[in-house]
Amino acid sequence: MTLKVSALLLSACALTVPAFGQDGGQLFTLYCSACHGADGKGATGGLFPPLAGSPWVAGPPDRIINITLSGLSGPVNVLGKTYNLEMPPQGAAIPDDQLAAVVTYVRSSWGNTGTAVTPELVKKIRAESGNRTEHWTAAELLKLHPLDETPALGNLLSYSYEGAWTALPDFSKLQPSAVEEEQKGFLSLEKAGKKRPLTIAWEGNLTIPADGDYEFQIETKGRARILLDGVALPATKGRGKGPPKGALTHLTKGLRKFRLEYFNAKGKANLEVAWRAKGAENWNPLSDPSTTSVQPSILLQPTAGRPVIYRNFIADATPRTLCVGFPGGVNLAFSIDHLAPQSVWTGKFIDAGLHWTDRGNGLQSPAGTKVVNLSGKPAYPSGTRFLGYDLDAAGNPTFLAKSGTLEIHDAYTSPAPATLVRKITITGTPGSTAPLVLAESATADPSSQGSYNIDGKLTLIAPEASLATGNTLVLPLVPGKTEIRYLWR
Amino acid sequence: MRFLIPLLLTPALALALAAKPKPGEGPDPQQIEYYYRQEIPLPFGEVMEIGSIALMPERRIAVTTRRGDLWICSGAYDKDLSKVIWKKFAQGLHEPFGLSFQKGTFTLTQRGEVTHLRDKDGDGLADSFRTLCGDWGSASNYHEYAFGTPPDKNGDIWVALCLTGSSRAESDWRGWCVRVTPDGKMIPTCSGIRSPGGIGFNSTGDVFYTDNQGLWNGSSSLKWLKPGSFQGNPAGNKFHALADLPAPPLPAEGSRVLAERLKHPAFIPPAVILPHGAVGHSPTGIACDQSGGKFGPWKSQLYIGEQTYSQVQRISLEQVNGLYQGAVFHMLDGFESGLVPVTLDQTEGILFVGGTNRGWASRGSKTFSLERVAWTGTIPFEILTMTANKDGFTLTFTEPVDPLVAGDPASYTMAAWTYILQKGYGSPEVDQAIPKITKATVAPDKKTVRLTIAGLVRGHVHHLASRGVKSAAGKPLWHADAWYTLNEIPD
Repeated sequence: MTLKVSALLLSACALTVPAFGQDGGQLFTLYCSACHGADGKGATGGLFPPLAGSPWVAGPPDRIINITLSGLSGPVNVLGKTYNLEMPPQGAAIPDDQLAAVVTYVRSSWGNTGTAVTPELVKKIRAESGNRTEHWTAAELLKLHPLDETPALGNLLSYSYEGAWTALPDFSKLQPSAVEEEQKGFLSLEKAGKKRPLTIAWEGNLTIPADGDYEFQIETKGRARILLDGVALPATKGRGKGPPKGALTHLTKGLRKFRLEYFNAKGKANLEVAWRAKGAENWNPLSDPSTTSVQPSILLQPTAGRPVIYRNFIADATPRTLCVGFPGGVNLAFSIDHLAPQSVWTGKFIDAGLHWTDRGNGLQSPAGTKVVNLSGKPAYPSGTRFLGYDLDAAGNPTFLAKSGTLEIHDAYTSPAPATLVRKITITGTPGSTAPLVLAESATADPSSQGSYNIDGKLTLIAPEASLATGNTLVLPLVPGKTEIRYLWR
Repeated sequence: MRFLIPLLLTPALALALAAKPKPGEGPDPQQIEYYYRQEIPLPFGEVMEIGSIALMPERRIAVTTRRGDLWICSGAYDKDLSKVIWKKFAQGLHEPFGLSFQKGTFTLTQRGEVTHLRDKDGDGLADSFRTLCGDWGSASNYHEYAFGTPPDKNGDIWVALCLTGSSRAESDWRGWCVRVTPDGKMIPTCSGIRSPGGIGFNSTGDVFYTDNQGLWNGSSSLKWLKPGSFQGNPAGNKFHALADLPAPPLPAEGSRVLAERLKHPAFIPPAVILPHGAVGHSPTGIACDQSGGKFGPWKSQLYIGEQTYSQVQRISLEQVNGLYQGAVFHMLDGFESGLVPVTLDQTEGILFVGGTNRGWASRGSKTFSLERVAWTGTIPFEILTMTANKDGFTLTFTEPVDPLVAGDPASYTMAAWTYILQKGYGSPEVDQAIPKITKATVAPDKKTVRLTIAGLVRGHVHHLASRGVKSAAGKPLWHADAWYTLNEIPD
């Protein structure tokens, strides 16, 4: 034993005769149970990955030893549910004999039936991984140590369709553009490609183990529905995303014809499908367990007629970005780093699901359409400092900045749909002749003086602005008041 | 005591009301004799993952949530908690961890800046969000948290900046503690930080933070942010060049804290190591008891939150040869979620704690919580302080001991160890030693015991288990374990 545990643990060890001189159960309680639960079902009612019944724990022990030694980062699907957390590596803190004991305990508890693990095996895998200090990702591990899972669906075929529909089409009237065998027996978007809309129907055999009630769930940001023996399961109202939570379907024992119809209009596609018998603890995946899902949706919208503000890490934006969703559907991402509106869009504001689930890792894109990128550069000469923002009585923001003795008040409102009005008030004495950058790729609208076209989507009306080199639209940085209107076409 | 329940309940009934402990992981059924814990109801339907708690005039409190809201609560001190009133004051803040209130203005530390929030028109909603300072960087990484103090005696806010992904320094000043002055200047103050969980002051106004087990942290610990100091993790060292500061030390991989800090005087060792597993997994908020005995006899001691174990722990500190060191004791257990902020109302002796376990699991099974704790007025039989001597330790107790058992060295056991200082995640306990307790001398007041010990090890954690000790009334200690970090052995 190279390690002294506490006196408490020593005395506990003396009472039991654990394998290899270490008490895996005690060590599990000390180091693992806080997250995985004393019962192996995952702490906090399953907010953390279960080890009981987990295929990640079962089978050859290399996978679980590697995770324990070097940690696991990012999304991982366990028993039909995706977790996006971080398992801290234990290799530098826990010596081989203790690690073997705790892994053995996990592999033989709560109904798990994995073989025991020796310190020698841990030592060997530690050496093979070169004392790896980077966390594993689920995808990396699955390549090396695939899960030993029986395919969920027999004789599974996928039918792909091409067309320009905007919702789940009537498949009976369509001819597939491709038919392929899903050899792994899971619904998979792995080979779906980037073409949108994406339309796929899968068909295969689902084995019902016994007569009884069963629950199905679909996680997707697209649309999907399940049909069993040609009969569609009840769908969540208006959303086309499978059965409502807790809805049960009575099925008789034997082979049932399973069909899933799926449609994704644009953007990243995801599909997670699982089922379980009524009252069962874990979900059985029907979709590829090695692919991962997006987070649940928490769509933010203005409430009570006031703008909603979301400050977080936004895709294609600087780290300090504050998003404002105005009532009426106009949205603004204001870069505090650049003191500039970097993008504007209409429609839905933003989905906070990514940042408000698990650790909130990642960058969120606007939820709406017609996103127009205005500028990726600082709006003012260097040395201009962000002073904060004020909200007027209706909750509209005025961003404040200071450059030498110049004070800049940059106020935004959306008085009408598809309209953003910006009022810039500058006081003080200019320290330089550098202008304020409004947009980086503007073209003059020949039909109207002071009107500019941005990205073909937006008209910017700024009578005092002018085009500088490289289609940059600038405004002189001098004391006074200016109004700029952003109008969607 | 305004919500002193044990006045109303017999101890037996109170015990029956306490949650049933699970084997091995509390909650402690004795606790309700000494401390009374209650959940404060939260606004219906809101997800209130509490990141900070501030005290306000007129017995109001304010909290921030990880989703970026600031709420004000009236009634959190009242006997009938069902009547609390919540009002949302602000939204759209970036995962703040640090809130205080001065003269009508909130001072808030959010990820990117220190902000002053005000309600200028008096409609109950914040309308002025003034950035005091946001001069540190961000790589848009979720782990880049910022934990801020209330203003210190100079009005400065101390901000501990977590590393990118808790291991790298991909944006300016990650791994540093900076001070923000009242006029908004940023003063880089300490380097070597990994992943803070809370920051606060001790009774003399020195600043401490908790840092979590991981790279270059063999175990979690409470650390002293002595200006100019290096805290052990060199990931953010490069930023000294941005402000023309001396380069922080680069500790040798695989060494020990003691060896490295003797080589590099700027390296201030952890004041109190919180041995991983035995004490906790993830220390968080810090509150100092200056209540003058309103929360028990723990004058000037620190209470720290423990996120994973859903506990509040107690730390007694002393200074030896210019360094802080001391002991950690288990104290309060069984909170509903993973504790992060810990705030003590010094006037009323009420401890407010907030919880969240999103992303980091906790024993407390609720995804978020706000709780208050009051002292019942009954003092538990505990080790009050543990201080180091040249040849052992002095223990003071909260009540007279039974001199027969407390004077018997066999009533105590001691083990000592340290950790490897390494880039790897955490460390096993190494360099084990068994110091020998040769004598236990009970003072005439029977509240002090001097342990004479052969084989103290400088730099080691000394785990003292006083399981044989009983009070004069025959009670065992409520918590028999103490973990003392012996940075320096007094002359």
